[in-house]
Amino acid sequence: MKPLRASTVAACFQELLGIGKQQKKEIPNESAFLRGLLIGKNILVVDDNKVNLRIAAAALKKYGAKVECADSGKEALSLLQLPHKFDACFMDVQMPEMDGFEATRQIRLMENKANASMAANPNASAAVSTYEWHLPILAMTADVIQATYEECMKCGMDGYVSKPFDEEMLYKAVAKFLVSKRIHET
Amino acid sequence: MDVSQLQRSWVEFLTALFNEGFLDSQFNQLLQLQDESNPNFVAEVVTDFFHDSERLLNELTGVLDQQIVDFKKVDSHVHQLKGSSASIGVERVKNMCIAFKAFCEESNREGCLRCLHQVKQEYFLVKDKLQTLFMLEQQIVAAGGSPPLM
Repeated sequence: MKPLRASTVAACFQELLGIGKQQKKEIPNESAFLRGLLIGKNILVVDDNKVNLRIAAAALKKYGAKVECADSGKEALSLLQLPHKFDACFMDVQMPEMDGFEATRQIRLMENKANASMAANPNASAAVSTYEWHLPILAMTADVIQATYEECMKCGMDGYVSKPFDEEMLYKAVAKFLVSKRIHET
Repeated sequence: MDVSQLQRSWVEFLTALFNEGFLDSQFNQLLQLQDESNPNFVAEVVTDFFHDSERLLNELTGVLDQQIVDFKKVDSHVHQLKGSSASIGVERVKNMCIAFKAFCEESNREGCLRCLHQVKQEYFLVKDKLQTLFMLEQQIVAAGGSPPLM
């Protein structure tokens, strides 16, 4: 008997039991394009919950991203000291000691400082001075009320995904920032 | 039992877990994340969940046992448990945590104790079910079949 593939099992359950998302009409080209955007990208996932970290990492790795994990705002900040290698960051909102909002504020402060000193540098070549540090930061939150959304935007986040998330939600949310970043860099 | 019978049992058992509300569509997400490059993903992440949850349940028991209950601590632990049970897709445990959080916000000790008792019941029930599922998988492998999720 053929082995049961996880994705086949999952698809069967979706249909049989009517659980999970409705089958979306996928635009094949769009999907393939978005998927390609994550390959080789460095993504930082920040969450104090080990289970959530593991699941987020697996979902992103499936699209070929290189994932690093941090379990606190403090650890995230140390990994994001400039210059860093990350292309995007998923940040849990509710964390003890330093929450996602505060961590993001601090990251933006660091970036503003660095960008200001680059702009002020008379020796900077044209190429360097057009590049600005801005890490796409997406909140991960189970709390999808308007107030949380506003708080996210206020502290400098670029968007959010609701928890629990599915892999499509994750890669779609981050892929659009990787497109615009690429354009910005050229 | 031959391999195909065992595989059928596995599918039936898992179907029942979805139908009876033990697992929700989030568990389906986990199934989709398991593949050749990540062959033990479901078992690994569920095992992490077991360790984490039991630690949290022990902490909660301790905190609620105190003369003066630190509801902030209770809330923090319940929040963790709610988060991970939602991510794994163990629906009944997650729903119990939502009720637990509500009592916590009211600083209602009796309500919290009742919820703790119920969360423990639901947790150990679903743990047992999932361990049975993993055991069925091992039986399939032992009978010479491929693991169901590969």
